[in-house]
Amino acid sequence: MDTVLDAPVKTFIQVTEYWIPEGDRLVLATGNYGGLAAFEEATRAISFGKGEGLPGKAWAEERPVVLKGFDGSYFKRIEAAAEAGLTSAVAVPVFDGDTLRAVLVVLCGDDANRTGAIEVWHEADGLLMLDDGYYGAAKHFEWVSQHTHFPRGQGLPGGVWSAETPMLFRDLGSGYRFIRADSAGKAGLTTGLGLPIPVPGDKTFVLTLLSARGTPIARRFEIWDARPVKVGKDKAAILVDGICEREGALWTDDTQEPPRRIAANQGNVGRVLASGLPEIFAGSPKLTEGYDAMVALPIYDDGAIAHIVAWYV
Amino acid sequence: MQKLVVIGAGMASGRMLEHLLDAAPDAFEITVFNAEPRGNYNRIMLSPVLSGEKSYAEIVTHDDAWYAANKVTCRFGEKVLSVDPSRKVVVGEKGEVAYDKLVFGTGSSAFIIPCPGHDLPGVVAFRDLEDTTAMVEAAGKPGSKAVVIGGGLLGLEAAAALRLRGMEVTVLHIASHLMERQLDPAAGYLLKKDLEKRGITVLLEASTREIIGNGRAEQVNLADGTELPCDIVVMAVGIRPAVTLAQDSGIPCGRAIKVDAQMRTETPDVFAVGECVEYNGNLFGLVAPLYDQARVLAKTLVGEPETFAMRELSTKLKVTGCDLFSAGDFADAPGREDIVYRDPARGIYKRLVIENDRLIGAVMYGDTADGNWFFGLIKEGGDISEMRETLIFGPSYQGGASADPLSAVAALPPDAEICGCNGVCKGDIVKAIEAGASDLGAIRATTKASASCGTCTGLVEQVLSVTLGDDFVIPAAQPVCGCTDLTHEDVRRLIKTAELKSQEAVWQELGWKTRNGCHVCRPAVNYYLLADWPLDYRDDPQSRFVNERNHANIQKDGTYSVMPRMWGGMTTPEELIAIAEAAKKYDAVVKVTGGQRIDLLGVKKEDLPAIWYDLNEAGMVSGHAYTKGLRTVKTCVGSDWCRFGTQDSTGLGIRLEKKLWGSWTPHKVKLAVSGCPRNCAEATCKDVGIICVDSGYQVGVAGAAGMDVKETERLVDVRTEDEAIEWTTAFIQLYRETARYLDRPYKWVAKVGLDWVKEVLADDAERKALVDRFDVSQSVYQVDPWAERAVPDAARRFQPLADLTVEAAE
Repeated sequence: MDTVLDAPVKTFIQVTEYWIPEGDRLVLATGNYGGLAAFEEATRAISFGKGEGLPGKAWAEERPVVLKGFDGSYFKRIEAAAEAGLTSAVAVPVFDGDTLRAVLVVLCGDDANRTGAIEVWHEADGLLMLDDGYYGAAKHFEWVSQHTHFPRGQGLPGGVWSAETPMLFRDLGSGYRFIRADSAGKAGLTTGLGLPIPVPGDKTFVLTLLSARGTPIARRFEIWDARPVKVGKDKAAILVDGICEREGALWTDDTQEPPRRIAANQGNVGRVLASGLPEIFAGSPKLTEGYDAMVALPIYDDGAIAHIVAWYV
Repeated sequence: MQKLVVIGAGMASGRMLEHLLDAAPDAFEITVFNAEPRGNYNRIMLSPVLSGEKSYAEIVTHDDAWYAANKVTCRFGEKVLSVDPSRKVVVGEKGEVAYDKLVFGTGSSAFIIPCPGHDLPGVVAFRDLEDTTAMVEAAGKPGSKAVVIGGGLLGLEAAAALRLRGMEVTVLHIASHLMERQLDPAAGYLLKKDLEKRGITVLLEASTREIIGNGRAEQVNLADGTELPCDIVVMAVGIRPAVTLAQDSGIPCGRAIKVDAQMRTETPDVFAVGECVEYNGNLFGLVAPLYDQARVLAKTLVGEPETFAMRELSTKLKVTGCDLFSAGDFADAPGREDIVYRDPARGIYKRLVIENDRLIGAVMYGDTADGNWFFGLIKEGGDISEMRETLIFGPSYQGGASADPLSAVAALPPDAEICGCNGVCKGDIVKAIEAGASDLGAIRATTKASASCGTCTGLVEQVLSVTLGDDFVIPAAQPVCGCTDLTHEDVRRLIKTAELKSQEAVWQELGWKTRNGCHVCRPAVNYYLLADWPLDYRDDPQSRFVNERNHANIQKDGTYSVMPRMWGGMTTPEELIAIAEAAKKYDAVVKVTGGQRIDLLGVKKEDLPAIWYDLNEAGMVSGHAYTKGLRTVKTCVGSDWCRFGTQDSTGLGIRLEKKLWGSWTPHKVKLAVSGCPRNCAEATCKDVGIICVDSGYQVGVAGAAGMDVKETERLVDVRTEDEAIEWTTAFIQLYRETARYLDRPYKWVAKVGLDWVKEVLADDAERKALVDRFDVSQSVYQVDPWAERAVPDAARRFQPLADLTVEAAE
């Protein structure tokens, strides 16, 4: 599609990068640093061993990790982050069974006006409890979330957990309620993307990205289903849900038309299908549906990519 | 320009307008009435709107701008009061409008079960945005509860959505499996399991008696006495064409507005489309044929020829993560064959139904990738015989892969108990393998799994194979039948380990290759289920041999034998008189059996309920001479009468029989109690034979006197009658729980070893637990089958359907 010029938007996530294992180290694959050149430079100079820094911790502990406040922490790029105004980060490991394929890291800046939520939920005693989350200015919503749990099938985290698939919720706070709806509405949260984060063993983690209109995590979300039980034996994916600020609904009613389908290496999502790794694209809006940047994250199940979630900002 | 008036802005009439405006944009001046205060939206996507996975804005098909651009006059939120075909006017709440052509697109309304309380506030249907909003509002209350009546497409979509909204949801469904019109029992089982995984409670065969509440719906009461408190009741039991307006206007209707293949009603210039029509006796609820109708009607309106034709339909459920597909006809019928594929680990079930080398039906759960391809084959109706072998694997597969026989064990979680004797879980065995154990002996040595009764050996070997791959070769074992690669022992153990409590669960989770088993495996599985889960599983008479089904032994001439129970071989003059009278009345031959009973032979099937009734009236119950269960307890006269008797053998026999009768066992079980070692009751060749001695009771087991002859082996010597009964009961329960179907106790003991049996039963706690479990089972199964069937409704089953020996009258 053609590039559309919008007013610059202050985004909730300022830096996205992913790391891949190389021998016993995690090395930077690529990142979108949004003009934070010094931080990017500091990043390119380092790598992480298992247990080192935030990506290494996610690798070693085999779980998503939220880190709020870098001072005095195990975070390796404290000075550069401070100079760039980055104060919090979330690391999401991408496991294919027991094998680590990559670690996706997003970094956010503390700002009284940045609202959104990146949450990690984990299963304990048959309920999903908040592991940790970064909420920016949405302090009340953070408090509510800390005191909320989800049984199977309930709410976005519980839905993702029981359906074992990414899900996209609309209108989180207005009109259509969800569990934390009142508070979400007050915080201006609109769209929620929930995704299962498979890890070795039998632990359950769900990641949610809750986006607000003013400081969006993304302005376009896509969920692609790549399971052979859905797409057949060819390496392919179909767009099962999605919403875009500009284009509106991206899904199709399959009683009327078949869903959008891509094959491996076909476009950015196709590249994820082919490589099996996350992809971060920036700087070429024509390749990212007219938006400045795009992140595509594979979710594995049963030895293959089951789903790909993509978000554009 | 002609005036076209459309009543109803639903999906069918909306699609018709699109076709019409494409074909002849200026042919009509169009007015659309809609009772809802809005235009056309994709109603079938209301479920994801309800769940919050879509917004209403996303499902609007025609917005205000569309109607304006196409110069459609919208009278939305205005009900049509009447239609006068003679004057060709439609009368709305705000006035009338004339038409040249009129289209009814009034759709359907929800069918509401007319039970008490159905009209209370809080009872909603699921048809439109207002219903959706009402449900969303109800879900806003923390901890709120919903009862959804109807386990069809719409009800289940509503249930899943309300669960996502945070409600406690119970689905009530009248049939024995969900979506019974679109799915077979196997797929229905998987769907139920999937919904339960989401925290939704599903009650099958649930009949709603009433809805009660103080001013609004607060509780649903079921016919079986179950009470379900709730904040909202969603009725989703079906739809009814909305035809009142058409009927009142004199438009000919049957069950709906009658139309021809051009969508014309029998009234000139009046047409109908969508769920409100009846075509050739058919009603419509799915969207695909409605769109066909819309296309046909648009052509008809512009004067072009087009004909509506019925077509095959397919079904999908819009619940995120539930992948199901069904199409065509998959009902049982002569001449039809099934191809079944299951993958328990992935929750996959696929079934194709073939008739005359054509694919006529497909049901798929968990793997729907090839659904549309199969649907195409069904619609084409072509010969599939050449690809039959690989058909189930879909279009891209040519090679004939077979189902994975290890998949059931591979799917077990680490905490699944493999060896019940020693409490060894799958994870323990895997750890032992990882630590170096690479064969059965090493596993036995390190974990004790399979080291006791040995019935779990097959499973342990499968865990070895799953973990070690081709480094371990499983010894060949005899499967139950061609429906499965698993042995009886594997199936028994897995039913317990994986907590499989229905036949559908067994077929699916153990990867059965057939739809619902065969005459060999069904009786065995039925027995294993009822023995292991007496409170959860309901005995399936269709999975029993004919004698057990009819509760009488069929004889070579087609008549039956009837044998009343005589406790311990004792009877009374009154019982004998009743038996004699019954024998005369039903023209039976009388035979005294080797088990000290009186058998009445030659009874006609249709007389069975009556003779049972007569014998019941005399205080007698079935002697179960036909069952895989307790048959007889033979006794001698014992110390009451015999000079040599050491104990009251008759009394003990009566007590034993009264405790054990009615229980189902892997094969028949016969007991005897002899009052002294002279053994007049021949106790030493019985399944359990007790010899009374001065010091107490010698309990022997595993005797035989049939095809094989074998003396009993001593299980235990006890001092009291109570102990003898406890040991006997525990032995029979252990046999019930661990033997393979159709193994008599002597065969079972030979396999597991008497030492193991003694070891288990010698444990006081375990012995007591076995007796307790037996008692639980008896609480369900110790019922007289005669009394249940000697009532008019049940007795009808025993009447001949037709007398084929009589020639038809001229």
